[in-house]
Amino acid sequence: MDLTQSYFALFDLPVRFEVDDQNVAQRYRALQKQLHPDRHAAGNPQEQRLAVQYSAFVNEAYETLRNPLRRAIYMLAQQGYDRDVLSSRQVDGGFLIQQMDLREKLESVSGLVDPEPVLDHILTEIGADSAQLMSQLASGLAAEDYEISATAVLKLQYLDKLRAEAEQMESWLLEG
Amino acid sequence: MALLQISEPGQAAAPHEGKHALGIDLGTTNSLVASVRSGSAETLPDAAGNMLLPSVVYYSAQGVPQVGNAALTLASEYPLDTLQSVKRFMGRSRNDVAGSEYQLGGGEEGQVRFLTSAGEITPVEASAAILNVLAERGRNTLGADIDGVVITVPAYFDDAQRQATKDAAQLAGLKVLRLLNEPTAAAVAYGLDSGDDGVVAVYDLGGGTFDVSILRLDRGVFEVLATGGDSALGGDDFDALIAAWAQQEYSLQEPEPAQARALLTAARAAKQALSDVEQVNFTVPGLPELTLTREVLEGLVQPLVKRTILASKRALRDAGVATTDIDSVVLVGGSTRVPLVRAAVSEFFGREPLADIDPDTVVAVGAALQADVLVGNKPDSDMLLLDVIPLSLGLETMGGLMERVIERNTTIPVAKAQEFTTYKDGQTAMSIHVLQGEREMVEGCRSLARFELRDIPPMAAGAARIRVTFQVDADGLLNVSAREETTGVETGITIKPSYGLEEDEIAEMLRASWEFAAEDMQSRQLAEQRLDARQLLENLQSALDQDGATLLETAEREALLAQMAALAAGQELDDIQTLKMATDSLARASESFAARRMDASIKQALTGLSVAQLDQLGEAD
Repeated sequence: MDLTQSYFALFDLPVRFEVDDQNVAQRYRALQKQLHPDRHAAGNPQEQRLAVQYSAFVNEAYETLRNPLRRAIYMLAQQGYDRDVLSSRQVDGGFLIQQMDLREKLESVSGLVDPEPVLDHILTEIGADSAQLMSQLASGLAAEDYEISATAVLKLQYLDKLRAEAEQMESWLLEG
Repeated sequence: MALLQISEPGQAAAPHEGKHALGIDLGTTNSLVASVRSGSAETLPDAAGNMLLPSVVYYSAQGVPQVGNAALTLASEYPLDTLQSVKRFMGRSRNDVAGSEYQLGGGEEGQVRFLTSAGEITPVEASAAILNVLAERGRNTLGADIDGVVITVPAYFDDAQRQATKDAAQLAGLKVLRLLNEPTAAAVAYGLDSGDDGVVAVYDLGGGTFDVSILRLDRGVFEVLATGGDSALGGDDFDALIAAWAQQEYSLQEPEPAQARALLTAARAAKQALSDVEQVNFTVPGLPELTLTREVLEGLVQPLVKRTILASKRALRDAGVATTDIDSVVLVGGSTRVPLVRAAVSEFFGREPLADIDPDTVVAVGAALQADVLVGNKPDSDMLLLDVIPLSLGLETMGGLMERVIERNTTIPVAKAQEFTTYKDGQTAMSIHVLQGEREMVEGCRSLARFELRDIPPMAAGAARIRVTFQVDADGLLNVSAREETTGVETGITIKPSYGLEEDEIAEMLRASWEFAAEDMQSRQLAEQRLDARQLLENLQSALDQDGATLLETAEREALLAQMAALAAGQELDDIQTLKMATDSLARASESFAARRMDASIKQALTGLSVAQLDQLGEAD
């Protein structure tokens, strides 16, 4: 197996941002049913080693293909917009101010008597912004406009980080 | 020269004989062995009809260790020589297990050792003694040698604990087909039995460990979505709290080892009895009788039960499912008999847990089912277990921080690469500290190993690009390799495992444990080497029967056949070295054939899928 082939080729799918989740999951299982080390446990050591390598590659591909943001980052990297290129880009000031706003709100939550509604509100706002950016990203990639797509990805990464922090905060509050 | 028989494609060279595989639940308190016989998995009893083997080993100054009930009866008389709950010490250092009831040796770091009348004993050796008894039981019941075993481990076991378990199996001379996570094993037993698909939560509270796993079951595929737990939380801790309560009631300052052991034994008996009645008499020889009520017990263990519920909550969140998405809850482990535990689980998940499966045997049964598939007895099985790594893996970076390379709950096997560079001109070595855990600071994580990368070609600072690959296999065990990218030089790695045993330590233990003369050792090695050769020949023969004509050129096929014939002839020889070389060389020669077979199999699988989808579309019209 060619471990440098694209994840789309591995799954025998066209290179497109839109994927059918069910289809991807089905293909993933079909591949693992052939390649997983459990399928080769009775084989010789060479075969077992190949199975671990191939199966790990399929897992990596699946993780990427089923997660929209990771999928987009992967597609951009294939077009030369790798991690270094992305992280050196600038996002517009308006977006940054909005981010700082949300972050301030999040930081003040822990001092509140009833923090849950505020947290819910922040998470809803992040969700709405993400959905909007995701649709920008989808049309950007469809039009092969990698500039627009790269900017959208960068913003989505900011939001993702913020969402993770908000969820962390939520679990701290829940668990006391 | 012996001629190799080539059978018609699709026909095996010899009538297929089933292989003999065992599923072993190596538990903290009790261990079990199970096997699939005439189609169904069952636990195997000892000569007296007992399924459970107490995980207890007694070491005396002379003779072989005693295991099980025989050892258990000696526990109060020889508290320091009778090792119980050794599972809690697997892959652990003295620092980790402060306050043990045993006398401990070994350094502050590195695998802990028990000081017994038989000398220093590692938990690995004691576990091997238990495995020996179970494997012997398997051999006697099945009337055959064992081809391979699946050993279960807590899902939350880290790399060091898993490696220690594998070392124990090696010491017991067993071929490990897979280390299987206990909750996954339970899900297999449950899922294959019920035939129900959906999302299942497995809550597994054993003698010394707690696991919770969330799985999706779909037509034979068991996909672990997330796992959580605590590898040092179990019924033993309940016992310790009860014993501490009794100690306080008796106003005992520092009990002798024998009395401490007696308190724990009484605590366990009281706890078990309180699952059925509201209050019991607490009796310890030589001390007045106490009364323990269920209410007092529940007050004592409530904080521990709460910890298990918090871990369940986190596992659900990691899995991305809500309690309302759970279709069934399966209870595993003897400690789930405690009414408070059952009540807490049903309250949290909002449904009654399934209680119709024996929580003691379900794990061994699941392991046996998987062992039967892995050993090759069920080539057409649809069963596939997709498990995850329980704890994140990472590296120490500047400032004592842990940088994650592989996140917890990533599906295994997984491989991730990370690039490093040199910070000094001409630097030729670099040290890497591998960690496991969820904390941000190094001190909060478990140190797995320190790697020394050597032979880096001298270059200007920052010019070298060293790519370190972390690979976690299907047993959840980590392998690390490194390569300098600009020159392609493979950098040497010295592994210093923080807890596991060194390879030569295992070899030394093996030698010491064999009561054979040197020639017997030779004959054992020869037998193993012959088995390797025979298995390779069988594998390859059946692969050739299936795909030899389509995937190999005539010349390639003939070259392989010639090597196979040579190895088949060599099998009769007594020369271990020649046999090993011929086996290795055939294995290498067959590697590209193996790769082509896998490629062909996935093409076929995807093509089949596309056709099936077209059919579905056709039906929809």
